[in-house]
Amino acid sequence: MRTLLALSIALLLANPLAAQPSNPPPTDPQDPQKPPVETRIEELERRIEELESKSAEQPASQTGPISGYMDFHLNRPEHEDAQLDFHRFVLLFNHSFTDRLRFVGELEIEHGFVSGLEASGEVALEQAYLDFRLKPEFNLRAGMLLAPVGIINERHEPPTFYGVERPFVDTFIIPTTWFDAGAGVYGTVGNGWQYRAYLMAPLDATKITAEEGLHETSQKGFLSNVRNIAQTARLEYVGFPGLSLGTSFWQGKTGFNFRRGESSVGVTEVDGRYHTGSFGVRGEYAHVFIEGSEDLNDLLQRTTGVNPNIARQMRGFYVEPSLRPLPRLKYDLAAFVRYENFDTQFKMPEGVLPLKQFDRTAWVFGGSYYPDPDVVLKIDYTIVRNQSSLFGSADSLNIGLGWWF
Amino acid sequence: MIRDTIVRGGSIASAVLLVLLAPLASSSQDRQIVRVIAERFTFTPSRITVKRGTTVEFRLRSEDTNHGFHIVGSDARVIIPKRGRGEATVVFVAEAPGRYTFECSKMCGAGHGFMRGLITVE
Repeated sequence: MRTLLALSIALLLANPLAAQPSNPPPTDPQDPQKPPVETRIEELERRIEELESKSAEQPASQTGPISGYMDFHLNRPEHEDAQLDFHRFVLLFNHSFTDRLRFVGELEIEHGFVSGLEASGEVALEQAYLDFRLKPEFNLRAGMLLAPVGIINERHEPPTFYGVERPFVDTFIIPTTWFDAGAGVYGTVGNGWQYRAYLMAPLDATKITAEEGLHETSQKGFLSNVRNIAQTARLEYVGFPGLSLGTSFWQGKTGFNFRRGESSVGVTEVDGRYHTGSFGVRGEYAHVFIEGSEDLNDLLQRTTGVNPNIARQMRGFYVEPSLRPLPRLKYDLAAFVRYENFDTQFKMPEGVLPLKQFDRTAWVFGGSYYPDPDVVLKIDYTIVRNQSSLFGSADSLNIGLGWWF
Repeated sequence: MIRDTIVRGGSIASAVLLVLLAPLASSSQDRQIVRVIAERFTFTPSRITVKRGTTVEFRLRSEDTNHGFHIVGSDARVIIPKRGRGEATVVFVAEAPGRYTFECSKMCGAGHGFMRGLITVE
């Protein structure tokens, strides 16, 4: 009887692996009846490794509700002294009240020092919103939001982009970091389609300039005038590994600082990113339409005494191929080149001549070294040229250290 | 003698029954491996459909920083290692039909909130 029981247990132990419904393990070719011990041992080893790796990873989930990134630069413009700039110190906070209700905040100090009445850095609350997560296709968000326009505005952690400074197009044409008070909806549709659509405080027309375009036009949630609400939306396709295609728009009236006259700003944008193996490429095109720019120039000239030469249209684009010759290693290297073309005087109101020094191109050559996927040492050389025969442009050497945690 | 024969016969029958039943229990456990790539701020694929009763083994890999993978309403929660540092595995048993949301559970950047996906159990 003991022999029979032992036989039963042995058969029972041996059977489950041999009886798995899919991918049955190979049996020993020397003895087809012999239980596949090696296979079982390998399977057990794999599971032990999984458990060990899971337990080793648990501490990373305990990093708490604070994350952040930093950006430290050395800029050396041609014919000028070099400058060290602690450009950005950013802390992100998040708190989940429930699985469906969550707060996210992003607080930024720029240029390391803030004081009153002097040219200095700034403290900015770039994000502070509540998410009401209803279902993947439809969710609500309200608070201080990032405008969902372009590549960089919602994706600006230093390891995520090449070059020490953000692209010029994502500075003058799309005023990154573009944030303001608002509310809206977002979600995913189908396999890989994402959308967001917000109502936000509009841009301030009095801050548009001939040289820097829309760079300083956001009201930044500082008693933002919402006599007219702006509309913005973005649609993205991210359903194929390594590929991201996006398009976005912004439309809003901007003349709330004038008693008479009205103007509005529209932005349309398309962008794409793709990487496969060691090769990557990204590109973006953005076009700005300013309705009422003629009246805007007239009203600003009456206020300041100087015609600001604001354009009727601005536009910019860039293409950036890159190479990571050591893909998927802990210590990574990358090289890139970026060509940018940006013109903040692209089309002018009738009777106003464009300032050709603001029709510019830039070549940025550089590299990045990642001692860790979240830490990057960057270096680039930037060559800027313009279409004016009177005004020159300065090249610059830039070195940056950035990290995310 | 008769008692011994009955006991012995019963033992043989039990052994045969156990051996026959064991494959049935094992064959009901369909295991499906699903490989997911996490990258700021998407999971690819983000929509996954499985049959009821399937044991889904997610093999998760990151193209950049640490991400989290959490199936809302379940204990399935794991940290995905950074790029180049291997993959994480988490098992989800699709017991009941329905829609299960999964999301990044570790803050990974300004667009962290968009990083979600859906498992549909048919």
